Amino acid sequence: MREKIMYILGAAAILLLVRDIHLIAGFPPEASQGYIFKIIFFHVPAAITGMIAAAAALVASALYLMTRNLKYDAAAVAVTEVGLAFLGINLVTGSIWGRVIWGIWWTWDARLTSALICWLLYASYLMLRHAIEEPTQRATFSAVYSIFAFIDVPIVFFSIKWWRTQHPQPVFWGGGSFPHDWSMVMLWNLIAFVMLAIVMTAVRLRQEETQRELDSLRRMAHAF
Amino acid sequence: MHAILQHMLLAQVSPQDITLELERLKRNFEFLSYGFTAAWVILIFYVLLMAQRGRKLKREIASLKAMLEEREKK
Repeated sequence: MREKIMYILGAAAILLLVRDIHLIAGFPPEASQGYIFKIIFFHVPAAITGMIAAAAALVASALYLMTRNLKYDAAAVAVTEVGLAFLGINLVTGSIWGRVIWGIWWTWDARLTSALICWLLYASYLMLRHAIEEPTQRATFSAVYSIFAFIDVPIVFFSIKWWRTQHPQPVFWGGGSFPHDWSMVMLWNLIAFVMLAIVMTAVRLRQEETQRELDSLRRMAHAF
Repeated sequence: MHAILQHMLLAQVSPQDITLELERLKRNFEFLSYGFTAAWVILIFYVLLMAQRGRKLKREIASLKAMLEEREKK
């Protein structure tokens, strides 16, 4: 049943994305930025999806520390890995936009730097897990680290408000204007990205469960 | 693009300006396609990575189960 729902959700997400790309292609170029402005339809939903994943990892890590149930640890690693992919999309698309508008691929301003640090923090989380053999110790250290890593997420989010940055102010809560039909496509793209992230997390979670089964089989093999 | 060109013609800009604007839009579009491609490549790469990991896990479990069954028989 779970598998069927995931297939349906995944197919719906792909269909939504294909429809959105078709709609985005039909939009006229933005007055001052031209076509490259349309990258916002991928850049912003990817960032929000990555941040939702980071928040979910925080909740799962806190739940693990409270209950010591390893299923929460599995959920934390699954959602972190998927979130990292979306944060990667956010960084890469942002860099491509910067190359056209600013004439540079990268600048060390508050938003970009905090976003890169966020990506590195979560990448380090995955590396930390590889470094610890014992499952409960790995889960505890990783949960504490994940909670620590989340501190950077609100910094990324509010960096454009707190400091003077080269990054544009947000379109939706920074006084910018966005045509209604463009906003709707952005919203649907975000929904599609979140749906895709849910499917990927579910698949990754299943792999974590299989990994645990494999570990117990290995222990049995050693015990013989 | 057509609307922009029309607007520029009405504003009486030189043909050189039109060529420059067309080049800017072309370059702009090229980079937009890079951005979309990069997003899809990252997603597809991650999905392939997960699929590969899933196959490896299944293989390992099957071989361990077979090994344990063989040991039980002995």
